[in-house]
Amino acid sequence: MDIFKINDLSFRYPDMENKVLDHVTIHIPEGEFVVVCGPSGCGKTTLLRLLKTELAPVGESTGEIYYFNKLLNSWDNRKLIEEIGFVFQDPENQIVMDEVMQEIVFSLENLGYSHFEMRKRVAELVHSFGMEHLLEYKPSELSGGQKQLLNLLSILLLKPKVLLLDEPTSQLDPVAAKDLIIMLERLNKEMGITIVLVEHRLEELFAIADRVLMMDEGKIVHAGDSKEVIYKLYKNNDEQFIPYVPAVSRLYLEIEQFHKIENIPLTVKESKEWMNELPSDVENSGQSVQDSFSITHHDTILSVKNTYFQYDKDLPMILKNLSLQIKQGDYFAIIGGNGSGKTTLLKACLGMIKPQRGSARYLGKDITKLKGKELYKKFAYLPQNPRIYFIQDTMVKEMQEVINQHKIENGSAKIEEMLDLFGIAHLRNRHPYDCSGGELQKAALACMLLSKPEILFIDEPTKGLDPISKQHFGKIIKELHKTGMTIVMVTHDIEFAAINAHRCAIMFDGAITVDGTPKELFKGNYFYTTAINRATRMSNLPEVLTLEEALEIWPDHVLTY
Amino acid sequence: MENGYRSYHPYVQFLYYLCVSILAMYFNHPLFLIIACILMVFVNISHDGGRALRKWGLVLIVMSMIIIVLNPFLVSRGTNILFYFRDKQVTLEATIYGITMSLSLVIVLIMFVSFNLVLNGNRFLFIFSKVLPRTAFLIMLAIRFVPLLNRRLEEIGMVHRIRGMSMTEGSIRERAKIGMLRIQLLLTLSLEEAIQTADSMKARGYGIGKKSSYIPYKMEKRDWGWLLTLVLLFLICIVGGSLGYGKIQIYPELGTLHFFLLDWILFVCMISIFSFPLIAEGREKLRWIYLK
Repeated sequence: MDIFKINDLSFRYPDMENKVLDHVTIHIPEGEFVVVCGPSGCGKTTLLRLLKTELAPVGESTGEIYYFNKLLNSWDNRKLIEEIGFVFQDPENQIVMDEVMQEIVFSLENLGYSHFEMRKRVAELVHSFGMEHLLEYKPSELSGGQKQLLNLLSILLLKPKVLLLDEPTSQLDPVAAKDLIIMLERLNKEMGITIVLVEHRLEELFAIADRVLMMDEGKIVHAGDSKEVIYKLYKNNDEQFIPYVPAVSRLYLEIEQFHKIENIPLTVKESKEWMNELPSDVENSGQSVQDSFSITHHDTILSVKNTYFQYDKDLPMILKNLSLQIKQGDYFAIIGGNGSGKTTLLKACLGMIKPQRGSARYLGKDITKLKGKELYKKFAYLPQNPRIYFIQDTMVKEMQEVINQHKIENGSAKIEEMLDLFGIAHLRNRHPYDCSGGELQKAALACMLLSKPEILFIDEPTKGLDPISKQHFGKIIKELHKTGMTIVMVTHDIEFAAINAHRCAIMFDGAITVDGTPKELFKGNYFYTTAINRATRMSNLPEVLTLEEALEIWPDHVLTY
Repeated sequence: MENGYRSYHPYVQFLYYLCVSILAMYFNHPLFLIIACILMVFVNISHDGGRALRKWGLVLIVMSMIIIVLNPFLVSRGTNILFYFRDKQVTLEATIYGITMSLSLVIVLIMFVSFNLVLNGNRFLFIFSKVLPRTAFLIMLAIRFVPLLNRRLEEIGMVHRIRGMSMTEGSIRERAKIGMLRIQLLLTLSLEEAIQTADSMKARGYGIGKKSSYIPYKMEKRDWGWLLTLVLLFLICIVGGSLGYGKIQIYPELGTLHFFLLDWILFVCMISIFSFPLIAEGREKLRWIYLK
C-alpha cells in the first residue's frame, strides 16, 4: 500500500516566475526509507513541506497528493498531525519549552491526551531511547545531537506512521549525525515507520536507503535503488550529482574497469571485500606517498601559550594548558567533537574572552587588547551563521559600508571586481535573508576581502552546505590561501579538512592533543578519518586519505589487470 | 531526583512559604521573630550551605540597621521617652517597633531567597499554570528565549568586534549607534528563527483543540500529611494571634513581653511550621545514618 502517492505535482511561490516543483510524480510505499537530495533551491524542502499540511507553503499548486489513497486535504487534521511527523533542520529553534520533560510531552498535551496515556507513552519511549539522564537538564544545556533526539522523541510519542525529516543532521558533528541516522534506521526496521529524509550528507545514507531521489530545478532527475542511481550517474557522467556519491563507491567506479551494479560498494565493509580481490602488488608504490604540501618556515603570527580558561569559578575548565602556533601563510584546521572547546579556542583567538592563565598573541601583542583598526584591518571572521555578518539590507550597500570604513580608493570598481570574483553579481540587490547559506558565505567573504585582511577565521563553514557548494567553497578558500592569506578554520567535517587544510589539529578535552599534516593526523584513525581511509587501511592497497589522492597514486596498470 | 525537602510537592512548598510570609508579618513579639529569623537562616543553610544567603547578607544587615536607626527618629509616638533629639522625642516604643518591623522584613526576604532556590522556574510555573494556564505557557516560551538571545548576542558581538564595531570605545553617540544596530540585528535574527519555532509548534498540533497538561508532580501520602499539618498549625497560630497572643502591644505604651501558656503553645506551633524543611531534611539524614 502506498503511504504517499504524488501525482503530477507542480508548485509555484507567489511572485516567482519559475515553478519550484515541476510535474513531480512519486509513489512511496509504506515502510520505505526514502532519501531525497539535490542542490539548494531544487525544491526538495518544498516537496517535503507539502506533505505536511500544517507546514505547506502558500502558493499556486496543481496535481494531487494522496495519503493512503485519499486526498491529503480530506483527512482529519488531528489524524494527520499524529501520523505525519516532521523534524526540522535546526535542533535549537524547534524546541519550544524550557524543560526537557515539558518538551517531550508538548505534542501530547496539544492533542489533549489523558494524563495516564501520557505517562505510559513517555515511560516507554524515554526508556527505549535511553534518555532518562537528559530529563534533569535544560534543553539549552544539551548538545546538538541530544537536542535532535529530543525533537524526534517528542514526535514519536504521537506514534506517527511516517517521519519527514528536513536535513536533520546538517548541524550535527559526525558522531552525533551517525547516532541519529542509526536511530532512524532502527525506527524504520523495527517499527516499520516510513521515512522520507532530505539530506546533503549521504555517505552513510546510501547504504540504508531503499530508494534515492535526486532533484534538480523542481524535477526528479534520478530515482531508484542506491546502487542503480550511482551507476546511472556514472554512466551519464552527471557532474552535478557525482559529488553526492559516497567516496568508496566513487573509488570503485573510477578504478574498476568492468563494474557491475550489484558490486558497487556502499559501505566500508563492501569496499574492503572488493579491494581484497584486487592484486596486491601495488603495495610498493604506496611507499612513495609524500606530503604534497611543503612545510612552511614562516614566522609565527598567532600564538596561544599554555592557556587555561573557564567561564566561571565553579564551572569546569574549558581550555586546559592549550598551546597553538599559527605561522604566516598557514591553512590550519581545528577539529574536535561537541564540547571539546573548539569554539572557546576560537573566541580566545579573536580576543573575545580573556583566559585566566596564558594569552593569545598576534605578532606578540595580546589580542584582547587589540582595538579598532589594528583589529579590523588585519582580522576577518566568517561566523557559522553568515547572516550575522550583514547589517545593511542589500549586498552592495554592505560592501559600500566596508569601503567607507576602510577608506578604500575607487571603491565601486573594487566592489564589481569582488562580485565577479565570487560569481554573486546577480545577488547585488538581494536582501541577505533571502539568500541561501552558500550564497551568504560567498557574499560575506567578498565583503571581508575588500579590506585585504591578513588572517581569516572560519567557524564550521560546511554546515548545511550541499556537496557542490562545499566544493566551491573549498576552491575559493584555496585561492585565498594561495594569495598568502593565513586561514584558521574550526570544523568537524573531516573530509573537508583532509582535502583542504595543510595543517590540522585535533582538540580533545580542552587541549590540542596532536597537530600535524592531515595525512599524519587522520590515517589509521577509527572515527576521525575519511571513509576511504577506513576502507584502504590494512588492505592490499596503499593507505590513502582522499579520493583525489587515491586516483593520483594508484598506478593504472596495476588495476587494469 | 531530589531528596528531602525539595522532593515535596510544589503545593506543599508553596503553602509553607505562604504560611511563613504571613506569620512573619502577623506576629510581632520580638522573641517569636528572632527565633523565626534564626530558623529561616538554618533553612537556607540546609538548602545550599547558605551560599545564596551570603550574597544577600550585607544587604539584609544594612537594610535592617537603617530601619532600626531611622524609625525612632522619624516616629515620635509612644510614652517611654528615651531622650530628645533636636527637640523631638525618641521613644522606646518606636525603637522596638523598628526592631520588629525590620525582623519581619528580614524574615520575608530570607524566605524569598529560599523560595528562589526551591520553587524555581518550572515548579513555580506549575503552581502558576493552575491559575493562569495561558500566561504560564507564555512565560515558559519567554524563558526559553533567554538562552537563545544570549547565544545570538554573543555571536553578533564576536563578528562586530572583528569588524571594528566596538561597544567599549569611541564616543557615547557612536556606542549608542552600534548598540542599537546590534539590538536591531538581534531582533531581526530572532524573528527569523522564531518562525521555525512557530512551525515546530504547528507541526505538533499546537492550538488544534483543548490542551491537556502533563502533571509532573504527584501528591503522595506524606505531601497530604504535611499539607494538613501545616494548615492545622497555621490555623492555630491565626486564631491564637487574633486573641492577642504572640503579639505585644507597642503603641501607645509598650506592653509586657511576658509569655503566657497560650503564648508558649503558639510559639511551639510557629516553630514547627518554620522548621518544616529542617525536619524533612533531618529525617532523611537520620535515616541514612541508621541505615549504616
